[in-house]
Amino acid sequence: MLSCIALGSILGTVIKQGAGPEEYLSLYSENTYRVIILLGLNDVYHSLWFLALLLLFAVNLTFCTLRRFIRILKGDQKAALPEETAMMAMALNFRTNKPIDDTRISSILKGYRIISSGIEGSVFQKGALSQYGVLLIHTSIMLILIGGFVGLIAGFKGFLILHKGDTKNTITIGGERPHEKQLGFSLKCKEFQVSFYPNGAPKDYVTTVEVIEGGKAILEKQIRVNAPLIYKGIHIYQASYGSTPSFSFTIGDEHITLKEKEPYRKDNIVLMPIRFEQNIHNFGPGVMVAYLDQGEPRTVWFLKNIERFNEKNILGKPVRFLDVQENLYTGLSVSKDPGIWIVWAGFAFILIGLYINFFLYYRRIYIRNSTGGHLIAGFAGKNKDAFQQEFENLRRKFNGISS
Amino acid sequence: MAFHHKILGIVTLLYLCLFLLHIIYFAVRKEKIISFTWIVLYGTLGLHTAGLILRWAESYHHGIGHAPLSNFYESLVFYSWCISLILIVMKKRVNYPVITIFGVLISLFLMGYASISPSVDRNIQPLVPALQSNWLHIHVITCFLAYASFVISFVCGLLYMITWKGIIPPRETLDEVNYRSVIVGFPLLSAGIFTGAVWAHYAWGSYWSWDPKETWSLITWIVYAVFLHARLVRGWKGKKIAVLSIIGFASVIFTYFGVNFILSGLHSYAT
Repeated sequence: MLSCIALGSILGTVIKQGAGPEEYLSLYSENTYRVIILLGLNDVYHSLWFLALLLLFAVNLTFCTLRRFIRILKGDQKAALPEETAMMAMALNFRTNKPIDDTRISSILKGYRIISSGIEGSVFQKGALSQYGVLLIHTSIMLILIGGFVGLIAGFKGFLILHKGDTKNTITIGGERPHEKQLGFSLKCKEFQVSFYPNGAPKDYVTTVEVIEGGKAILEKQIRVNAPLIYKGIHIYQASYGSTPSFSFTIGDEHITLKEKEPYRKDNIVLMPIRFEQNIHNFGPGVMVAYLDQGEPRTVWFLKNIERFNEKNILGKPVRFLDVQENLYTGLSVSKDPGIWIVWAGFAFILIGLYINFFLYYRRIYIRNSTGGHLIAGFAGKNKDAFQQEFENLRRKFNGISS
Repeated sequence: MAFHHKILGIVTLLYLCLFLLHIIYFAVRKEKIISFTWIVLYGTLGLHTAGLILRWAESYHHGIGHAPLSNFYESLVFYSWCISLILIVMKKRVNYPVITIFGVLISLFLMGYASISPSVDRNIQPLVPALQSNWLHIHVITCFLAYASFVISFVCGLLYMITWKGIIPPRETLDEVNYRSVIVGFPLLSAGIFTGAVWAHYAWGSYWSWDPKETWSLITWIVYAVFLHARLVRGWKGKKIAVLSIIGFASVIFTYFGVNFILSGLHSYAT
């Protein structure tokens, strides 16, 4: 079962996930591509068969765990002292030749708990908790799966781009059908700064945002990578940054600034910058401008640093490309995941479970009263080497008293 | 060359000495050599620690102070440190020269690769914003200690396949040491994955994004989970367990190296 999930996951790493059809076709033949799409191999971890596999795993796990739990409950009732012959048959047993009183026994068997006692003798146990380790681990895995499921159903993850001064109240949810989602409050980017190390690697990016709800500014906070803003259960992360250029022109005597794809309309002139390149054939920055010439769309390139190409006549008016400014924007990732605490709890419980399962172990000591002494036997479920040593020590202590 | 590089250079030589000491032991079979080897191993680990601390201190000198756990070079050096630490912590169990020789050999290889390979950048680099977090330390430490425990399990699995009387410890012992190292490694790997998930939640906004490294660590986790179930529930012993521990380690290697070099993703720090 686990192996199937592992195999499925391997497929997911070998085949690129969530790419467009062109990319797949450039890597694989058309028939292979059909198989990939049919089996959902372009998005393994969200495909039906992978989810079905997880569900099957969850069901399997539940039954295994329940079966185990019932077995432990039954085991607890079998705490009776075994017959003398049965004790003699155990791998670890010895006899003492003098009776030892109960207080001595319990002081030697430190850390052991008495679970049954009678005239015939007593049964002691230690590390009973370790039986529940596996139970705890498996339940925690279920918790993590449930937490993941809750997040899938009730959570969302989206993206938001803000220029300095922008205010937005919706985010874009990606996926197959990208759509906008209302946040219920607005975010205003008051400041955004990027700093770099001397070697050019980014050092820090900080967005100062203001949360606005019902027309009132509620709080202001700096969001950094690794330090998100959490508001009403919604996490807002610093995810990326970038810049959009804006261009300044003079058209006739008029000075204007246009963003990419921002149209300019005045008199008979309709134009808009449509494409920007940082460096065109080593001539420096250039912008492509589209304009309408008697209803016909035309394009023309302006090169900032080349005298002959930074000014053109468009419909009788001189248009001059002056400069380009980079406007930084901040990319914020916005998500809500109500299942997160269930997952965290699962993590914590698993670690506790692993500890008690592997580093505590269950052992039992039987003490049967016989004529002139005791018959003592012990057994451990796991870690038999260590128990054998412990048992040797116990033997020495018991005999030390009787001799 | 920075001072800590010299120290780590000496450490590399010490791993070579440790390896040679084992060879001498196999030639002359004097138990004294083994006790001496352990003393040298303690010293090596001490110097190795000093080297890491110096590198840490030096990073503050450059004004980009961070623990030496951030790039590929640092991860190699730290991995070999973890292997020595695990050898010492599990000394009682792994006190067989055939096991320790593989431990120091792998450390030697890692240190040698870190200091000689032209593709490894040995300079102290500043931390990109995503790595500027305290989760970095706990995440890297738990993961690499787990990887180091799995080295022992792998060595036991490998030795199980070979019969060489007198040198190789009895098969039952190898089986037991194998299991012991997995029960140390498995909780550590779990902790590594969980701390990584919590960190990812705060840095990237989702605790699990099926990044190749995450997926491969899950695969590794599953392999060792299968190992434990096979042993504890099905009662598998011996050869089958040895094979599983070798598969598990192959998966560890792929998680550590393969993902960085072959598959792209958020964890591609080894460029």
